[in-house]
Amino acid sequence: MSGELFAFLVLALLAILGGILMLNLTKVIHMLLSLVLTFLAIAGLYVMLSAEFVAIAQVLIYSGAVTIIMIFGIMLTRHNDEQKNQGNLTRNIIVGAGVVLFFITMYISINQVSFGDQATDLHVENTKQIGVELYSKYVIPFELMSVVLLVALVGAIILAKRDDEEEAEQK
Amino acid sequence: MSSLPVNAYLLLALVLFCIGLFGALTKKNTVIVLISIELMLNAVNINLVAFSKYGINPGITGQIFSLFTITVAAAEAAVGLAILIALYRNRSTVQIDEMNTMKH
Amino acid sequence: MLENAWLIPLFPLLSFLLLIFLGNQWREKSSFVGIGFTGISFVLSVIVLFVQMTNGSGGAEAAWLTIGSIEFRVGVVVNPLNALMLVIVSLVSFLVHIYSKSYMHDDARITTFYSYLGLFTFAMLALVISPNLLQLYIFWELVGVGSFLLIGFYFYKEEAKAAAKKAFIMTRIGDIGLLIGMILLFWQVGSLEFNEIFTAVRDGEVAEGLLTLIAILIFIGAVGKSGQFPLHTWLPDAMEGPTPVSALIHAATMVAAGVYLVATLFPVFESSPAAMTVVAVTGGFTAIFAATIGLVQKDIKRVLAYSTVSQLGYMMMALGAAGYVAGVFHLMTHAFFKALLFLAAGSVIHAVHTQNIEKMGGLWKKMRITGPVFLIGTLAISGVPLFSGFFSKDEILLATWYDGRYGLFTLGLIAAFFTAFYMFRLFFMVFTGDSRSTVTEVQESPRSMTYPMITLAVLAIFSGYINTPWFGTFLGDWLIGDSEFLPFEHHEGPVWIMLAASLIAFAGIGLAYLIYYKKSLQRDFLTSHMPNTYTLVFNKYFIDEFYQYTIEYGARAVSYLGSFIEKYIVEVIVAAVTGVVKSVGSLGSRLQSGQVQTYGAVAFVGLAILVFLVVWTGGYL
Repeated sequence: MSGELFAFLVLALLAILGGILMLNLTKVIHMLLSLVLTFLAIAGLYVMLSAEFVAIAQVLIYSGAVTIIMIFGIMLTRHNDEQKNQGNLTRNIIVGAGVVLFFITMYISINQVSFGDQATDLHVENTKQIGVELYSKYVIPFELMSVVLLVALVGAIILAKRDDEEEAEQK
Repeated sequence: MSSLPVNAYLLLALVLFCIGLFGALTKKNTVIVLISIELMLNAVNINLVAFSKYGINPGITGQIFSLFTITVAAAEAAVGLAILIALYRNRSTVQIDEMNTMKH
Repeated sequence: MLENAWLIPLFPLLSFLLLIFLGNQWREKSSFVGIGFTGISFVLSVIVLFVQMTNGSGGAEAAWLTIGSIEFRVGVVVNPLNALMLVIVSLVSFLVHIYSKSYMHDDARITTFYSYLGLFTFAMLALVISPNLLQLYIFWELVGVGSFLLIGFYFYKEEAKAAAKKAFIMTRIGDIGLLIGMILLFWQVGSLEFNEIFTAVRDGEVAEGLLTLIAILIFIGAVGKSGQFPLHTWLPDAMEGPTPVSALIHAATMVAAGVYLVATLFPVFESSPAAMTVVAVTGGFTAIFAATIGLVQKDIKRVLAYSTVSQLGYMMMALGAAGYVAGVFHLMTHAFFKALLFLAAGSVIHAVHTQNIEKMGGLWKKMRITGPVFLIGTLAISGVPLFSGFFSKDEILLATWYDGRYGLFTLGLIAAFFTAFYMFRLFFMVFTGDSRSTVTEVQESPRSMTYPMITLAVLAIFSGYINTPWFGTFLGDWLIGDSEFLPFEHHEGPVWIMLAASLIAFAGIGLAYLIYYKKSLQRDFLTSHMPNTYTLVFNKYFIDEFYQYTIEYGARAVSYLGSFIEKYIVEVIVAAVTGVVKSVGSLGSRLQSGQVQTYGAVAFVGLAILVFLVVWTGGYL
C-alpha cells in the first residue's frame, strides 16, 4: 500500500465520518463541529491533489469563517436546540431512496470514466500559478466576484438590520 | 506518479454530495440545512480540484474555479444567515417545516 | 258551423279555470257557474248534432308543427259518432252538474268539485272531437287526470286515495299499450290522422301481422280505460269518489272512452280478424265475468260498478263481432240508464247514509220519485222489452249471431240473465220488504236531484226507439251514413233471438222476484250448496289478491334488486370515482404545503429518476 493511498483512505474516511456524524448527532452545535472535521479532511485531500492554495483557503474560509458564521447563527437563534424528531419518516425514506438511486446512477457513470495523463506541474509554485492565471485570464470573473462579495455584505447587513428599524417604528 | 485513479476522488465527492443532499432535504434545523448545502458545494469542489489534476485537460483552471466556488459559498453563508436571523425575529423559529408561507 | 265545434269543450274549460282561480269564496254559487257553462256546451252540442244531420260531417284543422315532411295537425272533426258522443257527454255532464248542486251541498270543497267536473268534461268533450290519434291521446290522458282528481276527491279517506292511485296506474298500463300502438301506426302510416290511417289500412299498406299487433295494442288502451278484464279492478274501487262522479265518469263518459276509441278506429280493427276476435272474446268474457261478481256484492255502488264493467264488455263484444252500430247504440243507451241508476243510487245513499244494501229496504213508499226511476233504469238495463236496453242488447246479440260467434252469443245470453237477476236483486233489496235502515226519517231528494233523474228516465225508456227492427234503423243508417270506411249491413234477425232475450230477462227477474221479494226460495239456497264458489265470486275471483301476489311482490323484488344494485354496485363505483379524484386532489394539495424542503425533495427524486433512466437507457431516452 502506497503512502498516497493510505493518506487518501484516512482522509476520505474522516470526511465521510464527519458527514455521517452530521446526519446522526442530535445537538445542532455538534453537527456543525462534525462538519468541521469533514472540511479539514477535504483540505487535506486538496493538498494531495497539488492544490495547496485551495487547501489553505478551504481551511480559512470553511473551517474558519463559514463555521463561525453558522455558530453565530445558532447562538443568535436557539443555541441549545436539539434535533429531536427526525421529521417525516416517510419522506426520509423516499428521499433516502432517491439519494441511493442517484448514488447508484452516478456510481455507474463514474466507473466508466477513465482519463488520460495527469498534469505534473501544478504543485510547482502553485500560488503563483493561480495568481498569474487569475489576473490574466480570469480578471473579469475575479472583479465580478468582488462585486458579489460586496453585494452579499451589504445585503446581509440590510436583511439583518431592516427589521430592527421596522420594529422600532412599530413601537 | 500516482496509482490512485481519479475515480476514487469522484467517488468520495459523490458520497459527500449524497450526505449533504440527504441532510439538506431532511434536516429540520435551518442552520443544518445551510451547512449541508455547504457540504454539497465542497463535494463539487473536490471534483473540480480532482479534475484540475487528473482531467482530460489538466490545468490550474479547476483550482481557480474552486476558489470562485468557495467565495460564492462564503457569500451565500453570510446572506443565508442574515435571512435566518430576520426570519427568526419574525417567527421566532428556525424549524424549516414551520416556514410555510410559500403555501399562501 | 261545424268548424266552430271546438267552442264546445271550451266552456267547461272556462268553468274549470274560473272556479279554480277565482272561485275560492263562491262556495255554492260555483255550482251555477258549472251548470251554466256545461249547459251552453250541451246546447251547442245539440245544435252541432242537428247541423251534422242536415249538412253532413265537417270539421276544421290547422297545422300544429311540421317536422321534415311530417305534419302534425290539430283540429276538430264532427262525424255522426262524434256528434252523438258530444251530445251524450255534455248531456250527462250537464245533468250531473245539476244533480251535484244538492248532493254536494254540504261539502266544503264544492267549488273544487265543480272545477274538477269542468276539467273532466272539457277533456272528454275534446277527446271525442279529435281528428287524429295524437290529439286524442292528449285528451285521453287528461281524462285520466280528471278521473284521478275526482275519484280521490275525498282524499282524506285512505280508500279514496288508494282507489285514485289504483285507477290512475291501472289505466296507465293500458295507455302504454295505446302509446306503443300509436307509435307503430305512425311508423307504418307516417301520419296520425284518422282519415290517412284508414286510407292506408284499406289500401293494405300495413302488413297483416303488424296491423293485428297495432290493433291489439290500441285495444289494450281501451281495456284499461273501459275496465275490461284483466284491467277492470280499478273501476269498482273508483266508487270511492262522490256518487255523481261515478255517474259521470264510470257510467257515461270516461269508461265509454275505450269503447269510443275502438269504435273510432273500427276500420283498423276490422282489417284484422284476429284483433276482432280478441276484442270480442275479451268483451264477452268481461261481460259474464263481471256479471257473476255483481251477483253477490253488497255495496249498491259496487253492484252498479260491476254491471258497468259487464255492460262495457257487452259493447266490446259487439264491436268485436263487427256490430259497430250495436256497440255504439248500446254505448248510448247504457250511458243514459247507467247514469240514471247511479244518480238514483246516489239519491238513495243521500237518504239513508249507507251504501250497504243489506241495511236498506222498503224505500219504495218513502221515495216516490227515486223508486220509479230506479225501476225504469233496472228494467232498461235488464233488457225488458220496450225499454232502451232491450233494443241495444238485442242488436248486440244479433251482431254476434250473424258474425258466427255462437259461443259469445251464448255468453251474452247468460250475462243478460245474470244482469237481470242481480239488478232486480238490487232493486228488491233496496226498495221492497221491511226497512233495515238505521235512518228513520227517509226523505225524498230535492228537485235539483230528481229532475235530472226524471230526464234520464225518459231517455232510458225512449232512446232505444231510434234504432229498432220495427220502426227503422235510423241510428244505424245515420252512423254509417256518408263514411267511406264503415261497411254497414243491418241484419233482420230471426224473431226467436228477440224472444229468447226477452225470456232470459224475464227469467232473471223472476228468479230475483222469487228469492228476494216472495222469499219462496232461500237466499242461501245456492251459496250453501257451493260455498267455495260463493267465496271465490264474493272476493271477485281474487283478482286483486292475484295482482298483489304476482305483480306487486314481483315489482318489489325487482325494486329490491334494483336498490341493492344501486346501493352496493353503483354507489361503490361512484364512491370509487370520487375517492380517486379526492385522493388525487388531496395528494396535490398536500404537495402544495409551502414546505421548501418537500418541494426540493420532490424535485430531487424526480431528477434522480430521470437521470437514472437516462443512464439506464444509455442516453437514448
